Amino acid sequence: MIRSLISPSDSLYVSPKSWLQKLHVDGWLLLGLILLLSTSLLTVYSASGGDLQTTQQHGFRILFALGLMLAVAQVSPSNLALITPWAFLAGLLMLLAVLVFGDMGKGAQRWLDLGIVRFQPSELMKLALPMMVAWLFAYCDFPAPASRFIIGLTIIAITAGLIVIQPDLGTSILIAMSGLFVIFFAGLPWKIIIGALTAIAISMPVAWNFMHAYQKQRVLTFMNPESDPLGSGYHIIQSKIAIGSGGIEGKGFMGSTQAHLEFLPESTTDFIFSVFAEEFGLIGVVILLSLYSFVLIRGLMIAYFAQDNFSRLLAGSFTMTLFIYITVNIGMVSGLLPVVGLPLPLISYGGSSMVTLMISFGILMSIHTHKKMLTD
Amino acid sequence: MNNLNNLQFDETQSRIRQKALFSNRLLFAVFIIFVVFCLFMARMVFLQWFNHEAYLGLSEGNRISVEPIAPERGKIYDRNGVILVDNQPVYSLSFMRELVYDLDYTLNTIQELLPEIRPETLEQFKKRLLRTPRHRALILPYTLDESEAARFAVNSYRFPGITLNARLKRVYTQNQSAVHLLGYVGRISQQDNLTIDRSRYRGTESIGKTGIEHFYEDKLQGYPGLQRIETNAQGRTIRSLETIPPISGQDLTLTIDIRLQRYLEDLFDDRRGAAVAINPENGEILAFVSSPMFDPNMFVDGISHTNYNALLHNRNKPLINRASRGQYPPGSTTKPFIGLGALEAGFTGMDDTIFDPGYFDFQERRYRNWRRDGHGVTNLQRSIVESVDTYFYKMSLDMGIDSIHDILAPFGFGAQTGIDIPGEATGILPSQQWKMATYGKAWFRGETIISSIGQGFNLTTPLQLAKATSILANRGRIIRPHTLKGQALESPEQIPIKNREHWEYIIDAMIDTVHTPRGTAWGAGRHIKDYKIAGKTGTAQVFSLNDGEYNEEELDKRLHDHALFVGFAPATRPKIAISVVVENAGGGGRVAAPIAIQAMNHYLKELE
Repeated sequence: MIRSLISPSDSLYVSPKSWLQKLHVDGWLLLGLILLLSTSLLTVYSASGGDLQTTQQHGFRILFALGLMLAVAQVSPSNLALITPWAFLAGLLMLLAVLVFGDMGKGAQRWLDLGIVRFQPSELMKLALPMMVAWLFAYCDFPAPASRFIIGLTIIAITAGLIVIQPDLGTSILIAMSGLFVIFFAGLPWKIIIGALTAIAISMPVAWNFMHAYQKQRVLTFMNPESDPLGSGYHIIQSKIAIGSGGIEGKGFMGSTQAHLEFLPESTTDFIFSVFAEEFGLIGVVILLSLYSFVLIRGLMIAYFAQDNFSRLLAGSFTMTLFIYITVNIGMVSGLLPVVGLPLPLISYGGSSMVTLMISFGILMSIHTHKKMLTD
Repeated sequence: MNNLNNLQFDETQSRIRQKALFSNRLLFAVFIIFVVFCLFMARMVFLQWFNHEAYLGLSEGNRISVEPIAPERGKIYDRNGVILVDNQPVYSLSFMRELVYDLDYTLNTIQELLPEIRPETLEQFKKRLLRTPRHRALILPYTLDESEAARFAVNSYRFPGITLNARLKRVYTQNQSAVHLLGYVGRISQQDNLTIDRSRYRGTESIGKTGIEHFYEDKLQGYPGLQRIETNAQGRTIRSLETIPPISGQDLTLTIDIRLQRYLEDLFDDRRGAAVAINPENGEILAFVSSPMFDPNMFVDGISHTNYNALLHNRNKPLINRASRGQYPPGSTTKPFIGLGALEAGFTGMDDTIFDPGYFDFQERRYRNWRRDGHGVTNLQRSIVESVDTYFYKMSLDMGIDSIHDILAPFGFGAQTGIDIPGEATGILPSQQWKMATYGKAWFRGETIISSIGQGFNLTTPLQLAKATSILANRGRIIRPHTLKGQALESPEQIPIKNREHWEYIIDAMIDTVHTPRGTAWGAGRHIKDYKIAGKTGTAQVFSLNDGEYNEEELDKRLHDHALFVGFAPATRPKIAISVVVENAGGGGRVAAPIAIQAMNHYLKELE
């Protein structure tokens, strides 16, 4: 009834629906992803020393992840919001189960054996935590009451705490970040943000004084890896040599001597950016960073045009989480940030993180293609 | 109506403000992304443009690689300096496909040069090579000896891409002897990787898995050195620029006497069982036998599935360390300890006698003696010499299980001995509290009766028995069994002694057990003339027969009684204490006592 009252010219609604929209696919995002994933295939082939089997396996995983993304895109955000508390609860229970029944390999019990597959509940939490925090703000007035922020921060703290004791500090921090982004976009007052950052800055030297000598030593090695000549420092030096020797034009496809002579460790995973930069040079790096920027900007646009709180906060958080992954990896391999074993998103070989990432893109596409209101 | 309009207005206002704030935050996010990416671009320009020449030079001259040098693992010697575990150089070939010109031709030539390598090995290796990235080195799973290595070395110019690697391999010089004590090393597993300091294992491929090799891993494993190596374009070493030498692991000198160890092992002759010999003066382990054994050398370079499964599923379970992990009912070997405690606590006197008709009735149940026709009038001493069960049945009802527990606990029953071998079992020393905690049930007095002859819930390890026997031999001075020289307790505790005569009374009974015709170990001890051995036999029921007669012929071999013996010698100033368990072998006097007595005699006469 209402729809018929509005003339097409009044509407921001672009009609008719294209076939991409019917499939719930965002063309621009898909374009960006396909370009990045193709780059990934080429670079993995080269970094593995022309190993067809590895590349093929990687290709299949990419296809699987793309398929999963399309499937997820069919679920509307409102349905997603409905299952959110349950998904989060399931994730929480699985994290607890890992603590109790997890693979008792001393030191790291991150895996849960579900009979058919071994599964890392923290992967589920990468999606479920930001969804849960976004859900908290989905139906409340603006400005959101302080209680919501307090509940949100508590949920983040509990989840991060459960993952820290697995122990997996890196993942825990990244998952906490994805929740904090939601809170940031939900409008946590600047006063509090700046206050918290100042508090952390002040508490660092205090914590330093309380640390044992060996703990201080570990932090120092972490901050300055080059002090460990056989370990991570050696890797960073080799990584910088790889990037620098690429020059402006690069050594050409399959031309990474650093990887092929085994000077670069983990050349298909953590240090794949160095192989890429060595082979394709500064020009390649500019193109890669542009592709990333394109995907990031498109993600933020989807957040901007989203029509409800839940979708908007989720889209913002997923996009910024991708940005953090990129930053941590490139910062590490170029010697700007400490060494954290994290792959370069969408480019590195394999891993369940690729699948998780593609599901989050599926959700972004769903948000963009399931709009109910005609105007905003 | 007006109200509703207001509400709608408010809602719209709220939405607009919300949208505005969200847009602000998005803009801020874009700003952060912009700043960070600009920073990255600046870094890349710095690395790839401004410093390109320098890094290109480094990359082209990147012929200098840093390689770890594995430390030599500590060797292990016995108390007399006989080497038990050694390291010997072995050689292997490593292939880098990228540098091999023609793989098929090369493999054929290798086969001609080294016909000792099985063709299947090479065939399988070729498949693995083709699956591995071209630039990654793979090691041919074949160990070359000195002469093969020399043959390859003079021909190495014909094989670009193949390098001869030398490394040290762990060798157990005594083969299977003392394997449960020494343990073995094996490949570092995923599991190991989680618990070790990886920087200490750079260049090292194996790690102690069990026994001494595992317990003293920290001492045995040294610290790696490092070497800066200049290589040519093919990755071949030209010269070594700088070397920081590794620090070798510590050598260990053990307390065991490998001659006594082998002597005992020969006496077992692959029968299932265990024996532990201790020097009671200081707790040094002289021999630590678990039989049957296996060859630890199989594990060093990774054991094959076939071999491992064969060991795992062997009916005699050779992988189990029976000496410290095997738990057996102690049977009558507990009698001297309970008897001593009963004397000290006043539950019986040195001259108190009972009449033994061959059984003891309690609550409508008949507890039989091992000798059906009974021993007649018996005092405590005789009840140890001839192992009279009824004496203990009767006395135990006065004592109660908690007194028995408190008597046996100081001797180390039901607790780990603290030996420096991992995975020691605790055994079970029952008490009322223990049963309540374990089964949630109250204690029955009938259970006290069978506990008094070391049956029922009671379980001990041969190591615990040897420790308890040592403490008895020491007249109450507590020792801690250990295998590494110089680990004796500095200030050993002493079990409080009420009356020294009680101790000598019990020890005299144990001497008579071996040296008088009535004693249960007379058959084994009759030829020992020039010094005294104190001992006690035990026959532990594995399978409880309710009524029917015990017929060895009809019973499955695996349900036969365990034969046990504990003892020490010389009785006055003990130099050796021993425990022997032979599984399902029948009577302790007939089977276990001869092993223990021969070993002690051999040690005192030939070795000590």
